[in-house]
Amino acid sequence: MTRVVVDPVTRIEGHLRIEAEVDGGAVNNAWSSSTMFRGIEIILKGHDPRDAWAFTQRICGVCTTVHAITSIRAVENAIGAEPPPNARLLRNLIMASQMVQDHVVHFYHLHALDWVDIVSALSADPEATANLAQSISDWPLSSKTYFTGVQQRVAAFVERGQLGPFGNAYWGHSAYRLPPEANLMAVAHYLEALDWQREFIKIHAVLGGKNPHLQSFLVGGMATPVDPDKQASINMTSIATMRKLIRQAKAFVEKVYLPDLLAVASFYKEWAGYGAGVGNYLVYGEYPEANGADAPLYLPSGVIRNQDLSTVEALDETKITEYVTHSWFEYGDGDGEGLHPSRGETNPNYTGPDPPYERLNTDGKYSWLKSPRYDGKSMEVGPLARMLVAYASGVPRVQELVNFALGQLGVGPAALFSTLGRVAARGIETLVLAEKLEGWLDELADNMGSGDLRIHDNSKWDPASWPRDCTGAGFHEAPRGALGHWVHIVDGEIANYQCVVPSTWNAGPRDAMGQPGPYEAAIIGNPVADPEQPLEILRTVHSFDPCMACGVHVLDPQGNEVVKVRVQ
Amino acid sequence: MGDSKSSLLVLGLGNLLCADDGVGVRAVESIQRDYQTGEAVRVIDGGTLGLTLLSTFDGADDVVLVDAVAGVGPPGTLVRLAGDDVAPAVRNRLSCHQVGVADLLDSLRLLDSYPERLILWGVVPASFELDTSLSPAVADALPTLVERVLEEVRNLGYSLLSRRNAIRDAPIDPAAAPGSRPVRV
Repeated sequence: MTRVVVDPVTRIEGHLRIEAEVDGGAVNNAWSSSTMFRGIEIILKGHDPRDAWAFTQRICGVCTTVHAITSIRAVENAIGAEPPPNARLLRNLIMASQMVQDHVVHFYHLHALDWVDIVSALSADPEATANLAQSISDWPLSSKTYFTGVQQRVAAFVERGQLGPFGNAYWGHSAYRLPPEANLMAVAHYLEALDWQREFIKIHAVLGGKNPHLQSFLVGGMATPVDPDKQASINMTSIATMRKLIRQAKAFVEKVYLPDLLAVASFYKEWAGYGAGVGNYLVYGEYPEANGADAPLYLPSGVIRNQDLSTVEALDETKITEYVTHSWFEYGDGDGEGLHPSRGETNPNYTGPDPPYERLNTDGKYSWLKSPRYDGKSMEVGPLARMLVAYASGVPRVQELVNFALGQLGVGPAALFSTLGRVAARGIETLVLAEKLEGWLDELADNMGSGDLRIHDNSKWDPASWPRDCTGAGFHEAPRGALGHWVHIVDGEIANYQCVVPSTWNAGPRDAMGQPGPYEAAIIGNPVADPEQPLEILRTVHSFDPCMACGVHVLDPQGNEVVKVRVQ
Repeated sequence: MGDSKSSLLVLGLGNLLCADDGVGVRAVESIQRDYQTGEAVRVIDGGTLGLTLLSTFDGADDVVLVDAVAGVGPPGTLVRLAGDDVAPAVRNRLSCHQVGVADLLDSLRLLDSYPERLILWGVVPASFELDTSLSPAVADALPTLVERVLEEVRNLGYSLLSRRNAIRDAPIDPAAAPGSRPVRV
């Protein structure tokens, strides 16, 4: 038996570490560990809750908006502030555009190289590539000349001797299946996506006043004024700029991303049989379509258990607990029981080996992530969970697109519970949201047109208006999944703060009952053709879009490290 | 040299929650506080945003990165790297950044948007622990780091007007002010 350890890699030291035991060409056991402590909860104690978002937005290096919005919602929930309709629309626009940008970047820049072989692209026939591209989409950039140019550009880059973003993959690995032309098409779109995303994210500059860290968040609403006639506001010009960017985004997702995804997936259908994971899905829901706590959500909340799409349970957040049995924390009343986040504790207690080390003691504590559970069960969160809950709840556009994708690939709904299903769900969600954005923009424009320029509820700004002791929870669907913040405020200051982030749900370790987390469960059963190049493990881990750099280690039966794999 | 059409990006990098990792952002905040910036010289807090930062490079002919750089002396040591020396330094360093600066630079190369002149000003960190303040050694080095970055900006042929002077010497026609922005109403 061989133990593969995927450990943090090139640029980042110490984030996500996967240890996997490989036997007979497949993974028979796996452990997921975060080797980096993050204790934002400790920093926040004693701060003004109205400032918490500015700290929490620095938690995740990639998505600043998600922790800012969740924090604001938690505080608003605690103090009873009610953001006006324009604030809701601005937030929907910010959140959904973040999602669209992040998903495209994930597909092309963080995940595609697990499926696409750059070296093979260099030997593609540009004319055949043009024919392929034209057969799947009417995207204008698909001529022979265009693909010849891309091929030359990539060749020139590779000839510099520094592979850069392409340096971490396993070129020539037997698990790559795409013909050279499909590889070249994907590489061309890798470059186009780079260009597109740098243009599209300017929508955040319009919405947030200051790119790249949005400064327009405010407990009770938003801080950027909305006024059709004023310059330093979201005005008529801003609406027009956003409309242009949103339409470009929709076109790119519809004509490039989704066709590419389906074209690539058609060569990897066996991955509809791997990577299912825990089979339980949790969604807080997102994109309120009206104001108030019980407003309908465009992507609904819910829980699906055991891959059963016939039943979507209503979510009850009181059933969430976090375990630290296998985490480097300790609870005051012992580590055998889970705690609801509103009573959560952050007491670090590192008992792991001193780095560098070959393997973790996976029988004991082995991660800096806690193990969140819902009603005692491991839950996957993220695009697949959202699309499954929306599909099973009957959201028409999600049903159409899921059925379309399944039909194109000639597979049934069972294929959704897989590595490939996760990748497809992300693409479908991107299109659903890219299509939805303009509707929110229209609503905002209509409000402006009718003179409703309200962006903030001032009635609860003064801490004197708050209860002396209050608690609140804020929920959000971030690109990687369900995100929750819980805040306890006493005398106007933060007494306790707990975040349960998507990657904790997905990448967390085993719990007190020994149940694996979603990453751990999803990796088990994956094929591994070559333990020295565990590309297949990365496909499944990356399908979750980890927000931490991930690395994989291979160990022999005696537990000695055979291979330490570096991955981005 | 920074002629009338050139544009400079000063980009501070790092995580403010990880002690000295945030030193680049602290330096940039200090410059933003004391100097008037505009289209010719943009001074931006890049945090740890990775590829999302690509858009901030748009139109930048020259780039000065400010960041924590590990392993070239005791904590607080200032480091200057230029041109092709920058990418390898940011590729290998220890940090709690996510998708790295190296990816950004590679992407700029792939898009044929690599800056003409690229300079990195860095400080050797003492701590990446969870903390919103800098270690004493790095806090002591911060004012000098800011001075060096400002000097670099001038050496590259750009000018920055201190806010104090900008306010006192505000031109009667605001549109004529170099690097000015429309007055907020």
